[in-house]
Amino acid sequence: MSDVTKELDTSGLNCPMPILRAKKALKELQSGEILRVTATDPGSVKDFEAFAKQTGNELLESTTEGESFIYKLKKS
Amino acid sequence: MELSNIHLVAGLGFALAVVFGAVANKTNFCTMGAVSDWVNMGLKGRFGAWLLAMGIAVAGVQILDLGGWIDLTESIYRTSAFGLGGYIIGGLMFGVGMTLSGGCGQRTLVRVGSGNLKSLVVFIVLGLTAYMTLRGIIGVARLAVIEPLSIDLADHGMEEQGLSTMVMHMTGSETTSGIRWAFAGIVSVVLIGLALSIKELRSDFNNLLAGIVVGAVIIGAWIITGIIGYDDFDPVPLEGLSFVAPIGNSISYLMTYTGATITFAIAVVFGVIVGSFIYALASGTFRIETFSQRGDMVNHLVGGALMGIGGVLSLGCTVGQGVTGISTLAVGSFIATISIIIGSAITMRVQYHRMDELGKISSLTAGIADILIPWRKLS
Repeated sequence: MSDVTKELDTSGLNCPMPILRAKKALKELQSGEILRVTATDPGSVKDFEAFAKQTGNELLESTTEGESFIYKLKKS
Repeated sequence: MELSNIHLVAGLGFALAVVFGAVANKTNFCTMGAVSDWVNMGLKGRFGAWLLAMGIAVAGVQILDLGGWIDLTESIYRTSAFGLGGYIIGGLMFGVGMTLSGGCGQRTLVRVGSGNLKSLVVFIVLGLTAYMTLRGIIGVARLAVIEPLSIDLADHGMEEQGLSTMVMHMTGSETTSGIRWAFAGIVSVVLIGLALSIKELRSDFNNLLAGIVVGAVIIGAWIITGIIGYDDFDPVPLEGLSFVAPIGNSISYLMTYTGATITFAIAVVFGVIVGSFIYALASGTFRIETFSQRGDMVNHLVGGALMGIGGVLSLGCTVGQGVTGISTLAVGSFIATISIIIGSAITMRVQYHRMDELGKISSLTAGIADILIPWRKLS
């Protein structure tokens, strides 16, 4: 995972916390850097799609790993 | 065997709620999510779904009332008891609670149906605290602290708290039937117009579906209890969809089953869970979720209690007041709904500031300032 600048684990948390934490974490990144988010809330799939679309931070990946949902966001 | 009136009403309520639960699950209809999308992302699609539901419900329910099929002044929303303190304090508490516990009353039921055991804990805490506030130990505090903040409109020459009645009384004019129709028309057109002005609502099938179905289900609820269930000899209360007190009553019903009677509202609670469960199974999204963090469990417990207490004080939740109450055009319902939204939005901003390692008090003041005076956002 050499391309990932920062990891964020929101496992066990549900709406609105994963989005709030991602928003906060992205604030600390430089443009082009990548945030990898782990979540367990099924509602987060749609939330991260909408978040990326609205904020312009590109959603590079939205996958599942076992019980977890993994997102990679590239800071705009 | 002939079906008694209450069983007919409860059976129809259950069927209606199954539709509600399945659609709410499919479309991700969530009033807390609506506030979150707006406050955290600037997206208004789900908020639009809620506004659309309100507008459709106002249109349909006002036609039923003004057309003479039902009498909304018999409902709990349009009484002369104007519980201002309860609407505001209870609404704010409910708003904070739903944000801490992952969603409002209906969302809790939908999540229980899709396997979320965290929401099952919220369901139990919400139900117990709601019942304690209605009839138990917290009820003592409610009578001592909140009741005195209630205004009896009859003392001020108003029979009830309908929007047209109150506005016309303040302007010193008489409320005629034509004026009632005009108020109903304007409010429903404004709500539907506001909703449809939101691009993320118009362009999203799920949001549109949620708004239309929730609005229609609320109208259906009034038809079931007010027209189909109308019976002089075997009366049932006139009510719409509501979730806080009914969750408390549902738990009581299960515990005292052999001596208890089903009601419309209790059937609705179980119907929403079943509808969501059926959708979750059919769509392969059923999934057991549990607590894995200490703080998360604390938040859910506190949130459930705030919803149970706050929801009783404010006479309803985001659906009970936020759609059903608003469909009656009771002024208190508008105050309660706005209070819920403000409580929820402030909580989200406080949570955000807390991540900056601001102190509790600084986060709270910054969060309140963000929402109440947004033009001078604190850094």
